[in-house]
Amino acid sequence: MFSELFSSLESLLILALILTPIISGLLVTFLKRKKIIEAVTVFSSFLILIEGLVLINSILEYKTISVFNGIFYVDSLSGIIIITISLVGFLSSLYSVNYMGRQYDKLIIDESKLVRYYQGFNMFLFTMLLVPISNNMGIMWIAIEATTLVSVLLIMLYVKQSSIEASWKYLLIATVGLSLALFGTIFFYYVNTIDDPLGGDASGMNWTNLVENASGFDPNLVKLAFIFIIVGFGTKAGLAPMHTWLPDAHSEAPSPISALLSGVLLNCAFYGILRFHIITSNSIGSHFSNTLLIILGIVSIGIAAASIYFQKDLKRMLAFSSVEHMGIISVAIGFGSVIGIFGALLHIINHAVVKSLLFFASGSISQKYGTKLISDTRGIIQTMPITGFVFLIGGLAIIGMPPFNIFMSEFLILSSGFESENFVPSMLVILFLVIIFAGFGKHLLRMVFGSPIQSMKKEDLGILSIIPMLVLVAIIFVMGAYVPEPLQTLIEDSSQILLSGDIHN
Amino acid sequence: MILPTEINVLDISAAILLVATFGLIVRRGFSNWVHAYRYQTIVLAGIVALIALITDIWELYIVSALTFGIKAIVIPKILFYVTKKLDSPIKLETNPYISMKLSVIVSALLVAMSYFIFLQLNIESNEIIQVFLPVSFSLFFIGLFVIISRRKALNQMVGLLTIENGLFLFAVSLTHGFSLIIEIGLMADILLGVIISSILLFRMSKTFDSIDIKNLESLRDD
Repeated sequence: MFSELFSSLESLLILALILTPIISGLLVTFLKRKKIIEAVTVFSSFLILIEGLVLINSILEYKTISVFNGIFYVDSLSGIIIITISLVGFLSSLYSVNYMGRQYDKLIIDESKLVRYYQGFNMFLFTMLLVPISNNMGIMWIAIEATTLVSVLLIMLYVKQSSIEASWKYLLIATVGLSLALFGTIFFYYVNTIDDPLGGDASGMNWTNLVENASGFDPNLVKLAFIFIIVGFGTKAGLAPMHTWLPDAHSEAPSPISALLSGVLLNCAFYGILRFHIITSNSIGSHFSNTLLIILGIVSIGIAAASIYFQKDLKRMLAFSSVEHMGIISVAIGFGSVIGIFGALLHIINHAVVKSLLFFASGSISQKYGTKLISDTRGIIQTMPITGFVFLIGGLAIIGMPPFNIFMSEFLILSSGFESENFVPSMLVILFLVIIFAGFGKHLLRMVFGSPIQSMKKEDLGILSIIPMLVLVAIIFVMGAYVPEPLQTLIEDSSQILLSGDIHN
Repeated sequence: MILPTEINVLDISAAILLVATFGLIVRRGFSNWVHAYRYQTIVLAGIVALIALITDIWELYIVSALTFGIKAIVIPKILFYVTKKLDSPIKLETNPYISMKLSVIVSALLVAMSYFIFLQLNIESNEIIQVFLPVSFSLFFIGLFVIISRRKALNQMVGLLTIENGLFLFAVSLTHGFSLIIEIGLMADILLGVIISSILLFRMSKTFDSIDIKNLESLRDD
């Protein structure tokens, strides 16, 4: 094992990727000083971003990397998740310095809470990074459950009634949901080892092993197992009707954490569904799981549309918008054509970028206005020009206006819907998107351009809150124009992985 | 090769496990639930050791010991501490959404349903699966029922732990357990979950003066 460690750059990289947040979390625990723990966390998440990008460079070169006897396995699909975690993680740590600093100045949190926040932040990154790199589906499940626990700790940072309520509901519903996913995982393990029990050997739970043997699985048990998986991980990924915890948890968390929860964590849970979707497709063809994905996706978009239209709370509106976009990704995977899957994977990245921008902006807005109510927030562009501008760009992007990035992926997804002759689902998606366009757009324009209710000083909230948002706006514009070459290769490779089931059958 | 006497032991242990689980349904006091959970887990650890004996897989002995150590000693200790420290005057489930008597009947029906579901499943079975799989479903359903029918957050937490016990029994009887590293990871998750929900319980009782979940209904869209 040690010779492997030093002989291959990739094993070193993967190890560094998960050790960086752990070490940083320990440093935060011992150093305790506000300025130092902020610097440590920003530096370590910058390091994670660099390590992630180098790892993706290796993925592009070798396609699949398997290290430490196959405990860790990364391919292009993992690469997409790693990009979103490391990018949003870094920007969120930068934004935290300003946001949590202000909460500290306002005496909403004390120094020990701040230490706990940065500990949680680092552990949250660690648990999320563990999801896309583990090959063993059991370890992946443990990592996803651990993300729930760590994020509950972060949501209950503020001791107030609403955050206690949100954390309890989140903990309870997500854990019950994930226990169903574990049932599904055990079922898959069972069908894989039914003919030759491996005893204490864990390789029967490895994704690579499951995909290899998938064609010999008992079809009925695979169907049953996948239903457990999609309901279980679907709960965590925010698919309706299991999404009820999501608007509470995402709106009560501190804004930098909301960005991670909505932009990144939902993708990690959806990644779990994708891995099992590939196994199921390899076993019984993709029709069964595609149908389930389309149905759950449509329901999610529909429920989100109704909730967004009548929404009163800014952060809840953004949370429901995440339900919508996870629904769109799910429907797009369900359409099952090359373009649709390409669009879905692109949408995962686009949504992560735009949604974290919106949560950053909404954090600054609610700090300035002292409220999260949409009706009390008016004239952002006058009171805080730069934040107002980026909020407008983010809002227009999230409802699918051209020329921004989400328009591009949604266009690909809808055209694949018609191409694969899923007319009814495609029409429904268009209908709901129009409702969301109207509802979200109405709220957005009033908030940005209305006249402020009380007079406020014209001032943005600090350079460190502006920089992450401007970086995200730049990405939105670039990705709206074209998909950079390496990213395109990465997404094309992952589409091939997702389509492998159709090639086998 | 399984002898008839061993099957009897299997049946009896499964029956004891169900009885221990029903303790959760019929009692009202906070500490009663923790007791019920502890009995349930001790029986579970015994069952895992029994399966280890029959299948001759040595890892299962370690799993059994781990179960006993963490879930039958450490977790009940934490829960007893929580029960003692909660400054709520009446430590009882006074007014559940579904009455105690009805709960027993519902739970019995859930057990019957578990056996019915098991018969529908087309699983190539041996004696261990036949005896314990339906019981593991029962534990899961009863845990779920406790979560949705009770009003005290502590009771919901014990319901969650019962679900987890069901899941654990399911895994051990169907696949004879995963590798040790995963079992340890699972235990760590559970322990962390119990600690976090205990902190939440304290906060809840401090802010709302009770751990009744009727207080947790303010976040909604209307």
